[in-house]
Amino acid sequence: GQEFQFGPCRVEGVVLQELWEAFRAMKDIVQAKDNITSVRLLRKEVLQNVSDTESCYLIRALLKFYLNTVFKNSLDKAADSRIRKSFSTLANNFFVIASKLQPSQEKEMFSTSESARRRFLLFQRAFQQLDIQAAQTKAFGEVDILLTWMEKFYQ
Amino acid sequence: RAVLCISGGLPKPTNITFLSINMRNILQWSPPEGLQGAEVTYTVQYFIYGQKKWLNKSECRNINRTCCDLSVETSDYEHQYYAKVKAIWETNCSKWVETGRFYPFLETQIGPPGIALSTDEKSISIVLTAPEKWKRNPEDSSVSMQQIYSNLKYNVSIYNTKSNKTWSQCVTNHTLVLGWLEPDTLYCVHVLSLAPGPPRLAQPSEKQCVRTLKDQTSALK
Repeated sequence: GQEFQFGPCRVEGVVLQELWEAFRAMKDIVQAKDNITSVRLLRKEVLQNVSDTESCYLIRALLKFYLNTVFKNSLDKAADSRIRKSFSTLANNFFVIASKLQPSQEKEMFSTSESARRRFLLFQRAFQQLDIQAAQTKAFGEVDILLTWMEKFYQ
Repeated sequence: RAVLCISGGLPKPTNITFLSINMRNILQWSPPEGLQGAEVTYTVQYFIYGQKKWLNKSECRNINRTCCDLSVETSDYEHQYYAKVKAIWETNCSKWVETGRFYPFLETQIGPPGIALSTDEKSISIVLTAPEKWKRNPEDSSVSMQQIYSNLKYNVSIYNTKSNKTWSQCVTNHTLVLGWLEPDTLYCVHVLSLAPGPPRLAQPSEKQCVRTLKDQTSALK
């Protein structure tokens, strides 16, 4: 079957098409709730030209943030059942991927991990400049941008 | 020159959506209800998600038609966009009606590939050419959709007109040889392009047919 290959980090057992279908089911609802259209969290500078070795650090940071900050406390607010189902599909799969990512901690990888961290901080700072609920809604509505980037590492 | 009008004096246009094929992105809508026969005109604006202002499309200000080609304005397919339209009639105009967030990279329909067929007695070879991205001027250099979607796939359907059987194969490369076919038989082929991401509409190719050659060995007997 297909797997993610974020540089040295391999993740099997995730069917990307299921994540796409989960997002598609709620795309219009969630994106319509995002009124701050002048802000894009996952800007091009965050995800463009990421090297393979950098990708494992970056995806791990992003997924952990989504799990700990974006999805957290959002499930109970998701009144609409379509959102709740999509929500749990995405959250469960993000958890599986994040838990299987073991980026190298060796010293010579410091500059790579630093580069990934700077990219992640661009995203996190933009998120923190918004009211938490608006930021969660926006990050949720940008999962298509995240999945589009992740798909490049899916073979 | 912007026309001053009483906003909300007209019902809004309806069914606003992007029709996108190979990154040709056309905004289209239906006229407001109840205004048949009235000389309604429309004005369009578009917005790049993450930026600050709504932008005008000068060629789509006070137009009669119910579509507007925004391909140039939305040509960076990694950006996401909104568009909106309002109706104007005499001194009245409708409120704006807006699209959802439009993401060309995920939403454009991928056109069919070019197909070249050649055959011998028991096999057909199929050569596929990826569709081209829309380009503004014919003399502009061509960009293949393969360059945008490196993992573009094709679903090839083959129909045996004698046995009335159809089968299909999903391929990633551009050449495919179908073997173990029946001699002197008409086979028809059509192909769909498949891009990554969420399921999306795709335009099947025209059906193309070719007849395998007669079995030479039986001809010599």
